[in-house]
Amino acid sequence: MHDLARRLLGLDRRWIFLVIAFGTVLPLLYPLGLPIRVSPEVRKIYDYIERLPPGGVLVLSFDFEPAGKPELFPMAVALLHHAFQNNLKIVGVTLWPAGTGLAESILSQVAQEHGKVRGIDYTFLGYAPGEANAVISMGQDLSAAFPADHYGTKITDLPILQGIRSLRDVHYVISLSVGFPGIDTWYVYGKEKYGFELGGGCTAVSAPRFYPLLNTGQINGLIGGLRGAAEYEVLLAREGKAIAGMDAQSTTHFLIIVLLALCNFFSVFTRQTGRTRYR
Amino acid sequence: MHGSSWGLGTSEGHPEERGSSFIIFFLLFLPLCFLCLPVVAREAPLEFNLEAFDMPGDGGGSIGLRWQFPPLAQLDHPSSYVYRIFMSAQQDGEWRQLAEFPTNTYYESEVSSPWWVWGAKSPARHFFQIKSNSDLQLANGKLYFFKVVLTDGQHTVASVVASAVPQANLFNWAKLNNLVFMLAFSATVLLWIRRARRNPHIFLRRIPGLDAVEEAVGRATEMGRPILYLTGSGELGGSGDPSNLSTIAATIILGEVAKRTASYGAALQIPHRAAIVMAICQEIVKEAYLAAGRPDTYKEDMNFFITADQFAYTAAVDGIMLRERPAANFFMGYYYAESLLLAETGATTGAIQIAGTDAEHQLPFFIAACDYTLIGEELYAASAYLSREPTLVGPLRSQDIGKGFLLVAMVLGSLLMTIGELLGTPVLRTALEIFSDFK
Amino acid sequence: MVFWKRTLPVAITFMLGITFMLQYYVPHPASEALLREVSVWNQIIAGFAVILGVASLLQSHAQKIKRKAPGWGYSVVMYASMCSMLGFGIWSEGKGEGTAFGWLYTYTLVPLQATMFSLLAFFVASAAYRAFRARSPQATVLLLAAVLVMWGRVPLGEYLLPGIGQVSDWIMNIPNTAAQRGILIGISLGAIATSIKIICGIERAHLGGGQE
Repeated sequence: MHDLARRLLGLDRRWIFLVIAFGTVLPLLYPLGLPIRVSPEVRKIYDYIERLPPGGVLVLSFDFEPAGKPELFPMAVALLHHAFQNNLKIVGVTLWPAGTGLAESILSQVAQEHGKVRGIDYTFLGYAPGEANAVISMGQDLSAAFPADHYGTKITDLPILQGIRSLRDVHYVISLSVGFPGIDTWYVYGKEKYGFELGGGCTAVSAPRFYPLLNTGQINGLIGGLRGAAEYEVLLAREGKAIAGMDAQSTTHFLIIVLLALCNFFSVFTRQTGRTRYR
Repeated sequence: MHGSSWGLGTSEGHPEERGSSFIIFFLLFLPLCFLCLPVVAREAPLEFNLEAFDMPGDGGGSIGLRWQFPPLAQLDHPSSYVYRIFMSAQQDGEWRQLAEFPTNTYYESEVSSPWWVWGAKSPARHFFQIKSNSDLQLANGKLYFFKVVLTDGQHTVASVVASAVPQANLFNWAKLNNLVFMLAFSATVLLWIRRARRNPHIFLRRIPGLDAVEEAVGRATEMGRPILYLTGSGELGGSGDPSNLSTIAATIILGEVAKRTASYGAALQIPHRAAIVMAICQEIVKEAYLAAGRPDTYKEDMNFFITADQFAYTAAVDGIMLRERPAANFFMGYYYAESLLLAETGATTGAIQIAGTDAEHQLPFFIAACDYTLIGEELYAASAYLSREPTLVGPLRSQDIGKGFLLVAMVLGSLLMTIGELLGTPVLRTALEIFSDFK
Repeated sequence: MVFWKRTLPVAITFMLGITFMLQYYVPHPASEALLREVSVWNQIIAGFAVILGVASLLQSHAQKIKRKAPGWGYSVVMYASMCSMLGFGIWSEGKGEGTAFGWLYTYTLVPLQATMFSLLAFFVASAAYRAFRARSPQATVLLLAAVLVMWGRVPLGEYLLPGIGQVSDWIMNIPNTAAQRGILIGISLGAIATSIKIICGIERAHLGGGQE
C-alpha cells in the first residue's frame, strides 16, 4: 500500500493531462446546464451601462492579443451586444498591436448583427502606440492620438465623434486587459486625470490584483475571467461561449480539487507508513 | 383725543373706559394680525447670500456658486420648489438657464476639496459648479454674471446677481499633500543613498533563497550541466511599465550569479526577450567574468536573443530546458502567463529552481513549482544584499521608512476615524484629509 | 563620446523628469498643452521602437544562420514567417477582412497563441498535484483557500454547496484585497524610488550601464 501510494505520488503527469482533457471535453459534449450566480462586481458594470443615455459614448479598449481570446472574447462580445441593444455609440481602441485584428473582427461582427453602421454607430480607431502616452494623448485630444480611424477616415469627419474632443467627453471606458498595458494604465493615466468612469475585464488569473481598485471605486466594476463573462451573458439572457465553457470549468476545477485531495492523502499516508516502517 | 390713537397712549378718558377700549381694540386687532401673518411672512425677502468665484486649482473655464439656504419653511409646499441657475455674459443681458435641481441637492458639504483649499464646508449652504463643456464655453479672463432662482413654477424668488471671472491657476492646491509626501519620500531616498555611500554595511536581513544560489551553482558544476537564467518579460522601456524595477533587480542578481559561475567554471545560458535587456546583461556578465578573474571563459553567446513574442519565447525556452536539461533554473524578473509553463517544464527536468518576482499574480505558480521563491520586495532586497551597492541599499531602507510611516498612518487613521464616528464629530475626518487624494 | 552616451541622456532625463513631475500639479492650459505635445512625441518614438525590435530580431537570427549555429533551421523558419506576414500585411495595406493577411492572422497566429495559453490549464493541474501539499501550517491555509475559491467560483460548486460562492467572494474581497494592497504599496514605493534614481542619474541601467 505504501509503495502504491509512493508510485501514485510520482504519477506521470501525462495521466493528469489526460484526465484534465476528458474533464474539459466531456461537458462540452454533454452540458450540465447549471445555474450561474451573478456577482456584484459584474452587475455593477451591467447596471452602469443600463443607466447610460441612448447615444452615450462607450470606449471599449481591447487590450489583449490572441492568447487572451478564450477569456476576453466572450466578455467583449457580451458587452458589445449590451451596448448596441441600448443604442450606445462604441469607440473601439487597442493598446496591444497584436490585438488589432481580433478587436476589429469582434467589433465588426457584433455590429453587423445589430445592423449598426460604421462611422455613425461605432468606429474602430485601431492600435495606439505608446501605452500610457496613448491614454494621455486620448485624454488631451483624441484627434492628436488618432488623426484617422483604422480604416483611414479622418476622425474629424466621423459623425460618431462629433462633440467628442477627448476622453473627458465620453460616458464610460471599459478596458478588457490581459496584462500591461491594461486596466492599471487606463486608471493611472486616464481616469485619475480626465475623470471618466472606468470599468474593467480581465483574465481570471489577474482578477485578484484588481480588487483593491474595485473596492475603492477606482474601477466601478470588474468582469473576471470566463466566469465573469458567463455572468454577463446571464444578465443579458444571451447564451454564448462563456456559459458554454462554464461546465467545462466546473468539472476541471473539481478534478483539480480531487487531485489535490489525493496527493495530500498519499503524501500523509506515505509519511505515516514510512514512520511506522522505520520505528 | 391726545396721545396715540386707539386708546393705547395717554388719554383723558376714565381708566375703566380706557381699559375696555383697549380690550375692544385688542379683540378686534388680534384676529387681523393672525390673518395678515402669512402675507407678511410671504413678502419677507429670502436671503441667498449668493457668491460666485473662480474654482481654485484648475485650468480655468469653471465657476463655483455658493449660497445659503433661504428659510423654505415659510413657503407653501417647500418640496415643490426647485433651484434654477442662470448665467449671462452681461449684467443686464439675456439670461440663460444652465441647470435646475431640487432644493435638497447640491450641498457644500458634498464638495470634494480639502480644508486647506476650501475652508469650512457649511451644511447650511448649497454649492454648484459651472464647467465648460461642448454646450457651454467659459472663456478665461471674461466676466460672467449669475443668479439663483427659487421657484415652484408659480412663485419665484431670485437672488441678487453675482459675478466672477474664470481664471487658469498655476498650482492645484488640492494636491499639496501629495506634493509634500512625494518630496519627503524622494528626499528620504536621496538621503539614504548618501548614508549608504558613507556606510555600506547597513543591516539587511539574509534572504533564505540566496543560500540556494550557491547550492544551485555548485550543483550545476558537479553535474556538468549548464545554468539557465531568465530575466523575465521586462523591456526596461515602457512608461509606467511595472516590470522595470524587477528587471533591474534581475540584472543585478545575474551579475552575482555570473561571478559564481565564472569561479566554478559552470556554463551559463541567458535567453532574452528584449534587446535592451540583452545588451545590459551582456555588459554585466562580461564585467562579472572579469571581476572573477576568468575573462577567458566568457563567451559572447551566453546571452542570446530569441524573440519578443511571449509564447514563442516560452516555447523556445521550454525546448532548451528539455534538450539541454540545465541543472539550475533562475526565473528572476517580471513574468506573465508564461511563468507556470516555464517553471513546470523546468521541474520535470529535475533542475533546482529559484524564482524571484514582484508580479503578484504569478507568485502562486512559482511558489508551487519552484524550490525557492523570492517574493516581491525580497527580489529587490536580494539584489541589494548581493551587490551592497549604495544605490540599492539606500532606497531599500527609505522604502522601509515609507512603509513604516504608512503603517502608522493607517493604524492611527483607522482609530481616529472610528473614534470620530463614535463621537459623531467630523473634526477628525477633516484632519485625516491630509492623507486623502483630491483632484 | 562619454558626453553623448552618458552626460547628455542623463541631463535630458533630469530636466524632463523634474518638469513632468511638477506638471502633474500645474493645471494651467500651458502645462496641459506641453503634456499633449510630449505625449504625441512619445507615441511616435514608441512606434519607431517597434521597428527597432523587429530589426534587432532579424539581425540576431541572421547571425545565427550565417554561423550555422545549432538550431539555425528554426531561424530560417522565423525569417520565412516574418517576411510572409510582413509582405502580406503590406500588400493588404494592413486590412484584415477578406485578405491573406487576415487569413494568416486568424488561422495561424490566433490558434497558436490561444493553444500556448491553454496549456496552462494542464500545467496548473500537474503542478498542483506535484507540489501543492500541506507541508506546513501556512501551506495548509494556502491549500484551503485555494480549494474554497476554486469550489466557489464554478456553478457546480455552488450547486453542490450553496453559499460557497459567498465564501469565495469574501476571500477575494477581504484577505486577498488586503494582501494585494500591501504588495501594491510596497511595489509603488519601490517604483517611486527607482524613478527618483533614474531622474537624478543615479540609476543608469536603461543607458546600458550599471549604477553611478
